[in-house]
Amino acid sequence: MGDLNETKKKRGIGNLGSPKMPFDYFNREYGTVSRDTQRAPFQWVSEVAYKNVHRIVSRGYDTTELMEEGYGVVDVLFVDYQSRIPLIEEEQMLNYVMILALEDGLSPPAAMSRIVARTKTFLTQAAAASILAFGHAYGAYSAFGNRLERYLKKADAQKLTLAEAAELLVKESAEEYESLGVSNLMLKDPAAKRMIARAEKQGVAGKYIAFMNEIVRAAQKQSPEAVDIDMLGATGATMMDLGFSAEATWAILAVTRALATGAHYIEEIERHPYMRMGEALTPEEDYDGPADRPVPPLEDRAKVAKPGICRSVDEWAKAREERKKLVGSGHAVVEEIEDPSKKSGIEKVGKL
Amino acid sequence: MDRQPLFKRKTAISYKTEEKTVMRGYNVSDLAEAGYSFCDALFVLYQGRIPTDAEEKMLKYEMGVFLEHSMSPSAVAAIGVCAGRPNLPCAIAAAVSTFGGVHGPGAAHGYMLNKYLERAQREGKTPEEMAKILVDEYMDAGKPVMGMGQPQHIDSDPRAEPIHVKQEELGLQGVYLRFQRALEAYFHERRKREGRSDVGVNVVGSGNTALMEIGFSPMAGWCLGSVCRGWSCAAHALFNMKKGRAWGASRNEPMVQMIDLSMIKYVGPEDRVVPKQEERQEYARKQKEEGEYKKWAI
Repeated sequence: MGDLNETKKKRGIGNLGSPKMPFDYFNREYGTVSRDTQRAPFQWVSEVAYKNVHRIVSRGYDTTELMEEGYGVVDVLFVDYQSRIPLIEEEQMLNYVMILALEDGLSPPAAMSRIVARTKTFLTQAAAASILAFGHAYGAYSAFGNRLERYLKKADAQKLTLAEAAELLVKESAEEYESLGVSNLMLKDPAAKRMIARAEKQGVAGKYIAFMNEIVRAAQKQSPEAVDIDMLGATGATMMDLGFSAEATWAILAVTRALATGAHYIEEIERHPYMRMGEALTPEEDYDGPADRPVPPLEDRAKVAKPGICRSVDEWAKAREERKKLVGSGHAVVEEIEDPSKKSGIEKVGKL
Repeated sequence: MDRQPLFKRKTAISYKTEEKTVMRGYNVSDLAEAGYSFCDALFVLYQGRIPTDAEEKMLKYEMGVFLEHSMSPSAVAAIGVCAGRPNLPCAIAAAVSTFGGVHGPGAAHGYMLNKYLERAQREGKTPEEMAKILVDEYMDAGKPVMGMGQPQHIDSDPRAEPIHVKQEELGLQGVYLRFQRALEAYFHERRKREGRSDVGVNVVGSGNTALMEIGFSPMAGWCLGSVCRGWSCAAHALFNMKKGRAWGASRNEPMVQMIDLSMIKYVGPEDRVVPKQEERQEYARKQKEEGEYKKWAI
C-alpha cells in the first residue's frame, strides 16, 4: 500500500498534510488488524444464562425443567435477576406488582406504541418504542431506587434513624420531585397504599418499605400541599424489598408495560387507518414561533446572515441567553450525562 | 397540575381516573387484591375474560420457558446497545425490536394456521388434510414452514415438544394443536421421503399453537412471546452494564472484546484514492457507466 500512500501524498488531501497534525497521515497502514493470538478469543461472557443444542440454562436451572416442576414466568424473573427461587409469598407479591404495572391508560408508553403503529410497523417495533418512554420521570425506578440506597447508606454511616434519613432525603430531593415516590397523584386512588399493605400482609415488606413510609411522613410534613405515596413509591419500594435492584425494577416494569402496549398497538390499527408521510397537519394557531417572512435570495446571504461565532466569554454569555429564548434550540436545557465506564469491568474472565 | 389526556382516543382497553385504573371493566387493584396472577391479567387485557385455571397455567408455562434464551439476536442486540451506556430502556427496546420475520415470528405462524384453518372450513377438509396441503404448498414453493427448525437447537428445540405435552396434560387440546401436530407429522414424513434431515418443531411452532388455543390472536401471541424476552435481555444488558466493559473494545481485558479491531473482517472494495472535487464529475460519470459499484450496492 506504500504506492497508494505515495500517490495520495503527491495529490494532497485537504488539511491532512498539515504540520499541525500529530501524525504523518501519509505513512499509515491499510487493511484490517490481524487476529489477536495473545489473548483469549472473544466469547459472549454471561453469568445469567447459557444454552447448548439441547438445553437453555438460567443461573444453573434448565428453564424447561423449571416449567415442568411447576414454576412460571414470574419465578423466572427471580431466577434471571437474583439467581434464586422466590418464596411463594414473593412470587405472589411480584404478580401483584406486575398486574398494577401492566396498564395505565393512554400514558406515554401507550401513546408511543400507538403513534408508531399508525406508521405501519411490526408490533414488536411499537412495543419496543413504548419501552423507550420509561425515562427518568415517568419510569423513575432507577433514580428512585438508587436514591433510597444512597440515603440508607448515609443513615448507616451517620447513625441516623430512618425518620431522620427520610427528612434529609426529602429536603435534598426538591429538584427531583418526579422520582420521590410521594406526590399528589394518588390522593383519591388507594392502589398504592393497598400495595404496601399487601406487602406487609404477605410478610415481604422490609427496609425499603419501612424507609418509604418514613419518606411519606417526611414529605407530608415538609410539603405545603397534600401528598401521599404514589405508584412509583409503592412499586419501587416493594420491588426492592423483593430483592430487585433499582435497575432490575426499571427493566422488569418497563417490559411488563410493553406487554400491554401491544394491545394499544392492535387497537390503534383496528380503529384507525395508517398515516402517510406529510398527512398530519399542525394548525397555525398552535404555532408561536417567528412570524412568516420571505426567504432572502441566495445572493443576499452575506447581507442577511448573522454570524454565530462569539469571540469573548461575555459575548458568548449574552448570545446564550438570547438563544435560550428560541424554544426547541436546546440552549435552555442543561443535563449531566455521566460516563459510568470506569465503574465496570470484568476481571480475569476469559484468560487464555 | 395538568392531568389532561396526553392522547385523545376512544379505547376499549382501559380508563384511568383519579380514583382508579380500570382494564376491560376490572379495577386492576381489585384484580391484584383478589389474588389473580399476572398471567390472568394478560387474559383480561387481550381477551377481556378471566381464564380457566388450566389456561392460566399454560400461559405461565409458555412465557416462562420462552423468557430466557441466552445468546439470541435479541440478547446480542441488548448487549451491543448497552456497550455505549445509554439508559437501560434503550437496550431493552433494541432487544424487543429484533423480533421480526425470522426471530420469533409468532404472528406469522399464527396467521398461517388461521389462513389454512379457514380454508379447511371453506373447503370441507379435516385439519389433517389441510395440514398436508399447507406443508406441500410451502415446501413446493421453497418457503420455510413457520414454526419448524431452530438454528441452534438442531436436535429438536428443548422447549417445543414439552409445550405440546403440557398442553395435552392440561387438557387444552383443540383444533390448533390437532392441526399443528398433523402439520409436523406430514412435514417430517415428506422430508424423510425426500431423504432430508430431521427438522423439529420450534418454540414458536409449539408455543404459539398453545397461545392461540387458549384464545390469543396471532398478534397478541406475538406480543406475549416477543416482549417477555425483553426481561431476560434486560438482565443480560444489566450484567454487562454492571460487570462488563463499556464500549466492548478494551485492549486491557484478558479476552478479545466484542468489537476489538481484530474482530473486523473486511471484504469490500480495495483501498482507493478519493477524487478531488475538480475530478469528481468525470470520475462519477465513469464509475456509474462501468457499473462495478453495483456489485457492492445493498
